[in-house]
Amino acid sequence: MFIENILTNTVMMSTPLMIGALAEVLVERTGVMNIAIEGTFLMGAWAGFVGAYITGSLTVGLLSAVLAGVLTGALYGYITVYLKQHQIVTGTAINILAPGLALYLYRVFFGIPLLPLQVELLPTIPIPFLSDLPVVGRAFFNQNILTYAAFALIAAGFWVLFKTRTGLVIRSAGANPEAVDAAGINVERVRFGTVIFACAMDGLAGAFYSIGFLGLFTENIIGGRGWIAFAICFLGNWNPIGVLVGSLVFGLADALSVVIRTSGVTMVPNEFVIAIPYILTIVATIARRRFNVPAYLGIPYVKEGR
Amino acid sequence: MDRKWRFFLALFPVWSVFLGLALSGAMLLFLDLNPLDVYGRMVAFAFRDMYNFADIFAKAAPLILTGLAFGFAFRAFLFNIGAQGQFYIGCLATVSCALYLDALPGFILLPLCFAASALAGGAWGALIGYAKARFNANEFLISLMSTYVAVAIMNYLIRGPLIESKGEYPQTDVIAPHAIIPKLIPHTRLHWGFLLALLVAALAYFVLWKTTLGFQIRAVGMNRESARYAGIREKRVFVIVFLISGAFAGLAGFMEVNGVQHMLVQGFNPAIGAEGIGIAILGNAHPVGIVFAAILFGALKVGGNMVVQTSPVPSSIIGIMEGFVMLSVILSFYLRRRIVTALEKKKLRRD
Amino acid sequence: MENGASAAESRNVVELSGITKYFTGVIANDRVSLEVRKGEVLALLGENGAGKSTLMKILYGMYQPDEGEIRVDGRKVAIRSPQDAMDLGIGMIHQHFTLVPVHTVVENVLLGAGKGPKARMSVDEASKEIAETGEAYGLEVDPDALIEQLPVGMQQRVEILKALFRGARILIMDEPTAVLTPQNTKRLFDFIKDFTKEGNSVVFITHKLQEVFEIADRIVVLRNGKVAGELPRDDASEKVLARMMVGREMEEIGGRSAGVRSPRKKVLEVSGLKVRGSRGHWAVDGLDLDIAAGEILGIAGVSGNGQEELAEAICGLREVAEGNIMLEGESIPGRDAAEIIEAGVGYIPSDRHREGLVLDMSVEENLILKRFASPVFSNKGVLKEKEIRGYSKRVIEDYSIKTYSPTERVRDLSGGNQQKVVIAREMDIARSLLVAVQPTRGLDLGAADYVHRVLLHARSEGKAILLVSTELSEILSLSDRIGVIYRGKILRFFDEPATADIEEIGLVMMGVTGNGS
Repeated sequence: MFIENILTNTVMMSTPLMIGALAEVLVERTGVMNIAIEGTFLMGAWAGFVGAYITGSLTVGLLSAVLAGVLTGALYGYITVYLKQHQIVTGTAINILAPGLALYLYRVFFGIPLLPLQVELLPTIPIPFLSDLPVVGRAFFNQNILTYAAFALIAAGFWVLFKTRTGLVIRSAGANPEAVDAAGINVERVRFGTVIFACAMDGLAGAFYSIGFLGLFTENIIGGRGWIAFAICFLGNWNPIGVLVGSLVFGLADALSVVIRTSGVTMVPNEFVIAIPYILTIVATIARRRFNVPAYLGIPYVKEGR
Repeated sequence: MDRKWRFFLALFPVWSVFLGLALSGAMLLFLDLNPLDVYGRMVAFAFRDMYNFADIFAKAAPLILTGLAFGFAFRAFLFNIGAQGQFYIGCLATVSCALYLDALPGFILLPLCFAASALAGGAWGALIGYAKARFNANEFLISLMSTYVAVAIMNYLIRGPLIESKGEYPQTDVIAPHAIIPKLIPHTRLHWGFLLALLVAALAYFVLWKTTLGFQIRAVGMNRESARYAGIREKRVFVIVFLISGAFAGLAGFMEVNGVQHMLVQGFNPAIGAEGIGIAILGNAHPVGIVFAAILFGALKVGGNMVVQTSPVPSSIIGIMEGFVMLSVILSFYLRRRIVTALEKKKLRRD
Repeated sequence: MENGASAAESRNVVELSGITKYFTGVIANDRVSLEVRKGEVLALLGENGAGKSTLMKILYGMYQPDEGEIRVDGRKVAIRSPQDAMDLGIGMIHQHFTLVPVHTVVENVLLGAGKGPKARMSVDEASKEIAETGEAYGLEVDPDALIEQLPVGMQQRVEILKALFRGARILIMDEPTAVLTPQNTKRLFDFIKDFTKEGNSVVFITHKLQEVFEIADRIVVLRNGKVAGELPRDDASEKVLARMMVGREMEEIGGRSAGVRSPRKKVLEVSGLKVRGSRGHWAVDGLDLDIAAGEILGIAGVSGNGQEELAEAICGLREVAEGNIMLEGESIPGRDAAEIIEAGVGYIPSDRHREGLVLDMSVEENLILKRFASPVFSNKGVLKEKEIRGYSKRVIEDYSIKTYSPTERVRDLSGGNQQKVVIAREMDIARSLLVAVQPTRGLDLGAADYVHRVLLHARSEGKAILLVSTELSEILSLSDRIGVIYRGKILRFFDEPATADIEEIGLVMMGVTGNGS
């Protein structure tokens, strides 16, 4: 029972990490770091909540989250890909803007409610028969739509990246953009398009926290999880399979901290349990020797040099 | 290049600040507020009396330091995204000194707090530099993650060993009066720390442009490969830069704890690191630019807070202003580059 | 022209007229007009920086012209991207290959198909076609090989196959022989002849005169971004072309006095040296050499055979795995770059932008880049600005570096003057040994000549010089001795460069030693 609980929580908490980290893999493979990931998560969480609350429809919530992601991505992508401004600098600006904007617009829509507004959570969808399996049944086959989507996206991401022409172009844009350019394919368009797509995924990942997990929106709802997804992309070696493994590990850490917090175990101070994912990232970043870094990661493609 | 163009371009950061404020002002329309009215009141509040005016500089002091923390490392093309964490570690060090060593007289205790915050922040930063130098770890990721670890340490200490005597709220006791930085202007919050921050900025300038250390830092920043070929030991530079950068952020903790708050409250000032990045960008990673940008941010805060307290304008507008100002500064970098290129082309054509 | 006009035009597959292109600070092409005819090899000749590559990148759609128009098959066209160029049947082999190193040959060929009709072809089909085309033109290559594991000559084949796969009938080749051995060059020329015989056209960009006579049907010379002349090969002579290229007669490399290497005082001795390359392989694999004071040892070889790694190991920039390096009788492995600079070793690296200069620093800062810590230029960690300024002014004068001020950014200097900054700095450092790797790469003839003079002067001062170059002519004219490097070993030394047989050196460069291995 305990194991089943942990496993279920792990899969649940790893859902947004999978989606976000996969998005980061796709976009970094084209050579662009999406530093705005934390802010995009937040905008997604906000839009998902607002859409669902106003219309009462979770579907609209999900669509709004995607839209918010697309808009944030368009801003980030335009400045970094077309105007070739520094990615870390631009991303930081958006990450500062996002919480201000989200809170402000929340206020615009809802004024100052006495109690935090709430929406219904995305329902869990049990898969017939499979959800009754012992131990793994509930964890893998009785989750909400986003969790299923996350697994499907990982598989699709792997297939697209390594088995299709689109994937070939994406991988080439980060490994040698000149080759893509020389082939007559517009590098900027490939990068911008992937940024938009990835940010749409980030929006969904953010919405998981507001309408898939908590049912409300607060300023701290993401609390650095976007950065965890960013780190997982790195630690997973820019590969969807690595993302799957990494997300489950971090999901487990998240789940454990929830369990420890609620079970009242006081052996370990709670603060340190919360810090585990971050410490884990630091350790893994240091321990990993060889990385498969896309050769042109973070470098804008400028055609007319000199 | 034409003289009038040059003048126009030099003022670009100023234009972009106005653009950012205009965009934020447009947001106010959603709440049926008149932006001109709001900005008018902001300015009025900021200059209403000595207390508020002085407060701008009190607010600017720690921002100068976190701005320098990012800007200094940026000169070596290193990304210290972890100033927030280094700031908290600095806060913890200085508040511990002030609380436990309060038997010491002020003229010893204050320098001790100063040194403790700088050393603690610097050591925390140097660890990042060491990870970069020794393991070739990505400093962006590590400095980012180190902030969350620092937050955990702070939360643990403030809820545990450092908690106030009443044990009610997650905050420390108020520090002894002689551990407080003396006021620069009486009856305001402006303290001598502001001048200290200016001094630190001057020091940063001196180190970067007048010393061999700065020479190495800038060479590493502008072309790491050529610097290596020139026999510059880049790993040493990484550690030293992060040490200094972290010390700057740690000192910001000294300013806030000993200068303004006089205690340490859990999770206070949670955006000072990110604002430092914005300030460094606005100030073009130059100490002088950083000082001016920090004063601007200080003014936005003071004016913004007053408006928020006295009218239905929500406090989130301050974040929006900061964000839009940063974005428009970034856009101005792009525009300036475009204009310079176009002017050069035009000149060639005329020849 | 009057009567044959229409006939002549129909023979023109490409016509460029009045093409002008501005870059930040320079005019790369200034009202350039030329045409390419069906079935011909057009040589585009000019010094480095004459605007050849820019012009062809415009034809290939990578740059947009600021003025002028392009006609293909007599029709006015707008070539906005390489995609448009390829759709018109124009292909380009770039000087720096545009291949993705971590992908296979097929993947690169398929990527190269862009959005063309063959882009959706399956890997198997594409592999088959690559094999067939390869066989037809003598360009065989394994479709499943990873690019990064192929030698440079093979990579060039892949580039050509890419263009052919996409259906190129006009092939632009930018300095294609720079990376090839003489034997591989011959094979490339055979391909060009076969290809044009079928009615296709080739534009061959080069700055080497000999090649023009070997391969071109017609020659267009560019100088300073303008057309300096156009003539059929049969009307051309080396003298005429050289005058067109530089605007004056070329001089032989002058001032080569007899060597002063009489007392063979060995400055550098390398024995059994093994060094790993960036990919972990043995880039230098048991190498021996020595250089005496007042001697230039030229290292000839196709690039990528361990030259860079050898130079870096000597200069303390790369770890020595096995073997020894002795500098004036002292063993130096284990010392870092700073210590080796201290010991009096100057290094002119092959890529001055990436390795030799900090482009955004000023001339004076670059001049003291390696010596800022010396007591001459700093005291207790504080820079002595007055001394630095004085020194820089002197050096700028001595080496006649064209700059308006010691504080000008090096980025804004011309290539030749940038190289002078590097050389001036390294000459002052090189008390005993100067390591020069491709010291004239990318320089115009005048600047290259200057570099050669400086090297010879250093030799007359009794410095030992290790000269690495892929330009055989440079090695032959400067060296006292030549060592040919192949796969990290010196296969053979030639003690008398004056009498050495170029064919023979070429064979050794390909790994063929006299006794048939």
